[in-house]
Amino acid sequence: MAVDITLLFKASVKTVKTRNKAIGIGFDSTKDEIFKRSRPKSGFSPRAKEVITNITKLKDFLLQHRKDYVSAGSLISSDLSRMTDNDRDQIDQDAQIFMRTCSEAIKQLRNEAEKQVISAQIKEHRGAVLDLIETYLKGVCKLYSEQRAIRVKRMFEQENQRLISEMNSLVDEVRQIEGKVVEISRLQEIFAEKVLQQEAEIDNIHQLVVGATENVKEGNEDIREAIKNNAGFRVWILFFLVMCSFSLLFLDWYDS
Amino acid sequence: MACHIPRLVSLLKKKHFLCCISAVALKRMLNFNAPPLKNTAAEPVWKVLIYDRFGQDIISPLLSVKELRDMGITLHLLLHSDRDPIPDVPAIYFVMPTEENIDRICQDLRNQLYESYYLNFISAISRSKLEDIASAALAANAVTQVTKVFDQYLNFITLEDDMFILCHQNKELISYHAINRADIQDTDMEAIMDTIVDSLFCFFVTLGAVPIIRCPRGNAAEMVAVKLDKKLRENLRDARNSLFTGDSMTAGQFSFQRPLFVLVDRNVDMATPLHHTWTYQALIHDVLDFHLNRVVMEEGMGAEPSAGARPKKKSRKTYDLTAADKFWQKHKGSPFPEVAESVQEELDTYRAQEDEVKRLKSIMGLEGEDEGAISMLSDNTAKLTSAVSSLPELLEKKRLIDLHTNVATAVLDHIKSRKLDVYFEFEEKLMSKSTLDKSLLDIISDPDAGTPEDKMRLFLIYYITAQQAPSESDLEQYKKALLDAVCDLSPLNYIKQWKAFTKMAATPANYGNSGVKPMGLFSRVMNTGSQFVMEGVKNLVLKQHNLPVTRILDNLMEMKSHPETDDYRYFDPKMLRGSESSIPRNKNPFQEAIVFVVGGGNYIEYQNLVDYTKSKQGKKIVYGCSELFNASQFIKQLSQLGQK
Repeated sequence: MAVDITLLFKASVKTVKTRNKAIGIGFDSTKDEIFKRSRPKSGFSPRAKEVITNITKLKDFLLQHRKDYVSAGSLISSDLSRMTDNDRDQIDQDAQIFMRTCSEAIKQLRNEAEKQVISAQIKEHRGAVLDLIETYLKGVCKLYSEQRAIRVKRMFEQENQRLISEMNSLVDEVRQIEGKVVEISRLQEIFAEKVLQQEAEIDNIHQLVVGATENVKEGNEDIREAIKNNAGFRVWILFFLVMCSFSLLFLDWYDS
Repeated sequence: MACHIPRLVSLLKKKHFLCCISAVALKRMLNFNAPPLKNTAAEPVWKVLIYDRFGQDIISPLLSVKELRDMGITLHLLLHSDRDPIPDVPAIYFVMPTEENIDRICQDLRNQLYESYYLNFISAISRSKLEDIASAALAANAVTQVTKVFDQYLNFITLEDDMFILCHQNKELISYHAINRADIQDTDMEAIMDTIVDSLFCFFVTLGAVPIIRCPRGNAAEMVAVKLDKKLRENLRDARNSLFTGDSMTAGQFSFQRPLFVLVDRNVDMATPLHHTWTYQALIHDVLDFHLNRVVMEEGMGAEPSAGARPKKKSRKTYDLTAADKFWQKHKGSPFPEVAESVQEELDTYRAQEDEVKRLKSIMGLEGEDEGAISMLSDNTAKLTSAVSSLPELLEKKRLIDLHTNVATAVLDHIKSRKLDVYFEFEEKLMSKSTLDKSLLDIISDPDAGTPEDKMRLFLIYYITAQQAPSESDLEQYKKALLDAVCDLSPLNYIKQWKAFTKMAATPANYGNSGVKPMGLFSRVMNTGSQFVMEGVKNLVLKQHNLPVTRILDNLMEMKSHPETDDYRYFDPKMLRGSESSIPRNKNPFQEAIVFVVGGGNYIEYQNLVDYTKSKQGKKIVYGCSELFNASQFIKQLSQLGQK
């Protein structure tokens, strides 16, 4: 395993210092330190670090609100921790704007780095640094998109649930209607049966009626005949009587 | 420091072992020596990494450039290069504490190149050099800027989970040639041993365990063991500064048992480094340019172009074979035909997946037009999201398949042109003392089979493994055949000396009963569309056998008694009295072992150890060597030795 000899090194430094003092070599330490402190403030590295801190802020923010964002929201949990959909949309929007600004910043840094006249090694280093920052940003974006996917998934799930319950109620209604229709069809069957029965009887009756009508017609005819006959007979009787009467009368006259 | 212990313990329980420990140590160093946070989307902190060539070799197999970038390293530069001042960035140095490096650091301090300096020394820095830096810092008024100074104790290169080598730069200083040359002075030897022991000491500090050391008598390995034992002992006695105390490392880290450290010398087995091989990783090392897990190939390269052809423009391609490459991890020890088959399979699976994605794409394009499509849409949305998210995986897979196709094709070209399968089979038979179906002379005189180097290798293996030396007339015959084939005979001189020397020592190395079964003379021709048509190349099946080093390890780990290892020396740095006894105190078989070959090693031995470990449940074996060479590099060293 690795052995930390930093303390040994520091001890060596002390040894060398005392040795140099003894020999009489001194080093002017103060001047260089001040010189070192005046580093360019708006150099590449501080700006890159700034982008990173921003991305970290975003990450912390997302992680902080993750639980609330993702929570299903039961009836028992207090309203304080529940997030409305508006809140969630707000978070989504803010996160997206933030991510866009960060990636713009990275692009800008890249362009600037391209334009600057610096050695190949520093260029490569800066390119690699920007790649690292981009990967970090992608990681954080992934956090966000996972979160969002869960939310959208939940949304779909809710809608699914709703659709399912709707479909279920529809199914119930349809079943009911089906029952009724079956009932109706059964009744109609009976109805049709009865009607058929009645048809037979009606036919019968019809036949009888027709027969009766015929009989009545014939009876009428017979009665007319009979009346006619009767009338004719009557006429003959009447004639006979009249004749008899006349004959009587005649006889009477004759005799007289 | 204590907070990372549980994590380390859990890491040790995983399969990945050495890589993890070294990588964890490196990552801590790159995080300003604080444990890396597991926080997702943590604020990026950028830094610059400065290393020397040693540092580069250590870091490159473990961390890729992308991983460095992910850790915030914007620039990684060599120490001795022109570096511009970047005044608002902390710089992490990872260098060896040599004179020139220290001078350069002092120069950097004087030139005020960076905002703050984190100095990490690969091995421990001496007090006087520390004072040099201190005085330079004082002179430049930069003492406050030197924020931290660390001794990392990472002076070794981790290549695999269970393999490490000592160095890649300047490896000729501790090479086989350097150790075994005839004109070596005592001071030279001391210096070499010191280098090796320093690295091994760093290894054990990083591992966090004090091993039990076993070594043979009478060679370089014994010298290393003695020195290492002494160094470990001194460090343990120094209660104030001990690196092995309980709170900086976990005492029970190693499953309540200490690891076994077996030191062997290269001279115990000279045939294996010359052996032709048949497994993927070893073949790549043998045939292509393979260093630190990186293959360098020229496109369109393969066999040497024929003499009259104009060489066409070749582009060089570099491939990294890493732990993340699943195909490589699965097949680096597989026989080559299996690899070729698997590449084909992977290609087919990839094509199927690609077609699936294309189909989904086309279906999505039919939105609203096709009734059937609409009903399939809901089902396919899920499939599409999974396809889209697996797209980068698919592309990565394609890249790896292309990589392995290229590499395997190059290897295959070499095999075909040099008839390496013939050599492999023959050598296996030689090493296992089975009957030979061809005569050695035939192969050597065959102009089509192999380069002169291949023939020399074959002959040397024959000479090394022969029970009795060939008769003078036979030897002359062979020599003539070799000279006809344009071989350099100087390695033979050295091997003769070596053989004479080892005959005086213990029994010659036995290569065990291996067997090579060729699966038919012409392997099955792959189906059309395959790029690996291996007709004419024998599909050889390796039977498991143990190389000498593996056997030695087996004997020592399992506490078996064997004439070869019975008189090995035994060192336990934790024991109060420096005991010279050869009687091991520990009667139980060891669960962890580290094998180190002084004088150089290669992938064939490594693969053999890996296969051995697989057959034993629950054992962890790490392989290390002072340098890694392939056969041609080894032959060069032997020639140099033979010419003296």
